[in-house]
Amino acid sequence: MSWGKRKKTGKHLGRGRLTALYVVLVLGSVMMLLPFVWMVSTSFKVENDIFSIPIKWLPQKITFENYIKALRVVPIAKNMLNTVIIAVPKILGEVFVSALVAFGFARFAFKGRNILFMILLATMMLPYEVTMIPTFMIWSHLGLSDSYVPLVLPAFCGSASFIFFMRMYFETIPKDYEEAAWLDGAKNLKVFYMIFIPMAKPALVTISLWSFMGTWNDLLGQLIYIDSQHKYTVQLALASFSSMTGETLWGPLMAASCMALIPIIALLLYAQKYFMEGIKLGGIKG
Amino acid sequence: MKKRQRAGFYFILPWLIGLIVFTAFPMLAAAYISLTDWDIVGNAKFIGLDNFKNVFRSEEFIKSLWVTFRYAILAVPLIIATSLTMAVMVSKNYKGMRIFRVIYYMPAIVSGVAVAIVFKWILDPSYGLINGVLSFFHIKGPDWLYDPDWVLPSYLIMAMWGAGGSLLTYLAALKDIPQDLYDAAMIDGANTWKKVKYITIPLMTPIIFYNLVLGIIAAFRKFTDAYVLGGAGKEGNFYMVYLYEEAFSHYRMGYATALAWILFAIILLLTIIVNWTKKYWVYSE
Amino acid sequence: MKRNILIWIVFLLVLSMLNGCSKNSKDKNTFTFATWAAGTELEEFQAVIDKVNEEAAGEYKIEVLSIPSDYYVKISTKIAAKNSPDFFWLTQELISKYAKMGALADITEQFKHSDSLIPDMYYEGVLASAEYNGSYWGLPWIANPIIVFYNKTMFDELGIECPTATDDWTWEEFIDICRQVSGKEYKGNTVYGTIIDGWPNIETFIWAGGGDIIAKDGETIVLASEEAKKGMGYLQTIIKEGLSPRYAEVASLGSNNVWFEKQRVAMFFGGVQDNFETKVDKMDESEKFEIGYAPMPVCDDGSPWSFDWTASTVMAKSLEGNDLAYKALEAVTKAFFEWKIVPPVKGSINNVIKINPKKEVAMETIAYIMDYARSANYIPEWSDINDKLWYNLYVSLLNDASFDYRSQMDEIQAYSQDLISKR
Repeated sequence: MSWGKRKKTGKHLGRGRLTALYVVLVLGSVMMLLPFVWMVSTSFKVENDIFSIPIKWLPQKITFENYIKALRVVPIAKNMLNTVIIAVPKILGEVFVSALVAFGFARFAFKGRNILFMILLATMMLPYEVTMIPTFMIWSHLGLSDSYVPLVLPAFCGSASFIFFMRMYFETIPKDYEEAAWLDGAKNLKVFYMIFIPMAKPALVTISLWSFMGTWNDLLGQLIYIDSQHKYTVQLALASFSSMTGETLWGPLMAASCMALIPIIALLLYAQKYFMEGIKLGGIKG
Repeated sequence: MKKRQRAGFYFILPWLIGLIVFTAFPMLAAAYISLTDWDIVGNAKFIGLDNFKNVFRSEEFIKSLWVTFRYAILAVPLIIATSLTMAVMVSKNYKGMRIFRVIYYMPAIVSGVAVAIVFKWILDPSYGLINGVLSFFHIKGPDWLYDPDWVLPSYLIMAMWGAGGSLLTYLAALKDIPQDLYDAAMIDGANTWKKVKYITIPLMTPIIFYNLVLGIIAAFRKFTDAYVLGGAGKEGNFYMVYLYEEAFSHYRMGYATALAWILFAIILLLTIIVNWTKKYWVYSE
Repeated sequence: MKRNILIWIVFLLVLSMLNGCSKNSKDKNTFTFATWAAGTELEEFQAVIDKVNEEAAGEYKIEVLSIPSDYYVKISTKIAAKNSPDFFWLTQELISKYAKMGALADITEQFKHSDSLIPDMYYEGVLASAEYNGSYWGLPWIANPIIVFYNKTMFDELGIECPTATDDWTWEEFIDICRQVSGKEYKGNTVYGTIIDGWPNIETFIWAGGGDIIAKDGETIVLASEEAKKGMGYLQTIIKEGLSPRYAEVASLGSNNVWFEKQRVAMFFGGVQDNFETKVDKMDESEKFEIGYAPMPVCDDGSPWSFDWTASTVMAKSLEGNDLAYKALEAVTKAFFEWKIVPPVKGSINNVIKINPKKEVAMETIAYIMDYARSANYIPEWSDINDKLWYNLYVSLLNDASFDYRSQMDEIQAYSQDLISKR
């Protein structure tokens, strides 16, 4: 964010309207952050203060007890690592393959493209709840339940929603770019790799983030496939704080949830610069 | 040209393989299960179309479909408008926008259950945040989730709160709108609204289309928060909650699967309609 | 260089994944035990299992499978894939359903002829929950009957006479105490007599008038009886007169038990297991109070009773007749009697104090109530009947005290009887 640019964009909005924009944004932010404020504040509350009337948004006395207890109940660091072990290959597969397939759909008019694309969309429409048991049966018969394989392997065939997104994104890229390359006789893969991948950086970062968060927040999938405790992921660890017969340990649960949020927020902060620093099309096109 | 056709086919091959290996069997199995009476344990008993007949006779089916449909009609445009507005607001490189972008996206990073629990407090009739603010202005707030008439608005508030989830898609696309288009418009004396209307929105239509289709799917498949929060008078009994109960508390897997295929058909139909309108409003090179 | 590192990382990840899927072929004497225990409770569970394994000295081995969330979804998915856990916990409402589905082993013969744990040793009302169609389908390992916890300090301060530990008080007397308490100022808050928000379960009220939902034969619905309706009338009175916080208000304190802990209600229907004692111990001195215990108010015909929640350990159908498996099941069930309160077998009531010394003050009530603890007669159609009882009857009444529950009960009666006739 250079000074020059800010000066330039500064012309677009007057001072008064800029202030109005900030007021609206700040008010909105307060709303957006409320659940997080509640989570963080609960994680520092003593048990007796967690529920009270009126709601205490801030802890009366700060305690680290919940964090200590949370760490005693679940090895959260190991659980996070397990999630990462699932997430990393999954992202690599999902993102790359989805982009590849999307490129095929976006730029090649092959026979049956529209039908196939409808099928692709259709695969997202049947609720997972009813395909879960047949899917589990397959993996179970292959002897692969209680492993990460069922959670990771399908990612290498792309994800329908990512393919859809990347296709729509590729369609916003003007055809002029590749025309030259096609005329040069570049190979399809080369066009994809040299032109589309770099140009789609913000979109690729976006789906990578989705992929990661999808894994990080997935409870049902991981719950069905993972049995052994040493393979537990973050979500399974968090689920351990509320049991059917016992009570929910709100304080430790929130403490563990906060800890589980740190990597994801860090990732988001790190990734966000890519949303805005993609290839600047304006200059080339004009 | 033949060669290019084949090339396109190669590009989509990995997905096709996945379709056959990972998706086809469960879907075919589900198709069969929907024609059977299956309580999960024993052998499924083939009963033809009885499940579908029973579904259409069920009052609860009609009710939950109505709850879901009504929600979808309102929530989908609302979410798109909200997130598009957010995206336009935070897209410029003013000071502090980076942090706003992250904040507005944050609702998407917490899983459904945590959100549902917090909203239980926010919407609490007696001591909740919203009614607290209202009572400050001497307005008596409604009972929200405990009043059948206010269940839908409660879910719409939650939907708007989570609208930042699609923020990234718009930001990624906004980035690609050539700055010189705006510069040219400014020279022509266009105001902000005109620029949004004539440049931003048309160029964003492919992404809006994407979010529309996914929004429809998500709205019809709404589950987690509805399952946790419910709502008075069964107004919170969304289609997927009904389906889930049929499958996993009554163990009527055949019936639940029939419900799933009906949902599938509804979403598919809507998607085909939306897809057909695409040529009238979605910008394409 | 950078690319090489990346390849190595991927390689290592793949390796660690494959490492995860080396499934050891199970031995005939190894049994998996699925539990909903998680976190701290799981550690305790594991310790119990370890002890049992040790005592088995290699004859059999039990492996723990914890399911920390969506327990029945995972259980049923595993059963569907013919991958059922060998033993698992099942709550009483589901025994008949799972038995009918054919997921459970019939253990009647082994149970009756055992030399260490036979049906007669159990409390009759508790054991009935593991019975269906004349057979036993699991071994109950825990009982958790409802009693009335009351705030003795509040009673004393407001000058209300406390019920005794084995009182034979009636519902009228209970409601009368609620009337005396409700609306009073106590410690700066307006307090209520009790709290009802879907808990205690509807059986509590239906039984209160001497009625029931499903008759002993498992085929006749008796919900429309005058006794059952009279019991629901007690519930209506409590809601109508504002003797409990409004339904819409309860969630504001998280859950119903917090209202008792925060001294906003005088009496709480709680399972004997509820650990109010521990919670009060942890409170600041100014917030502490003395807890009193009383049995449930008696039925209108004067007979004492308590609704009991029981869970059983069941065995997969594939293990039917497997004596080694049954031996392991029996051993582990007996070990549970020293882990959780209340052990469902007669003569072991003193285990309660050993397990949780803080419960000593409640012992008189617990020992008294166990003889009268029972669960409803659950049939495979229960999940459907219960849906109607919950949404159409209980919640409707909670939301609107003038709701015509009587005709609704007639409707549910007809609906349920119709379900049974379709068997």
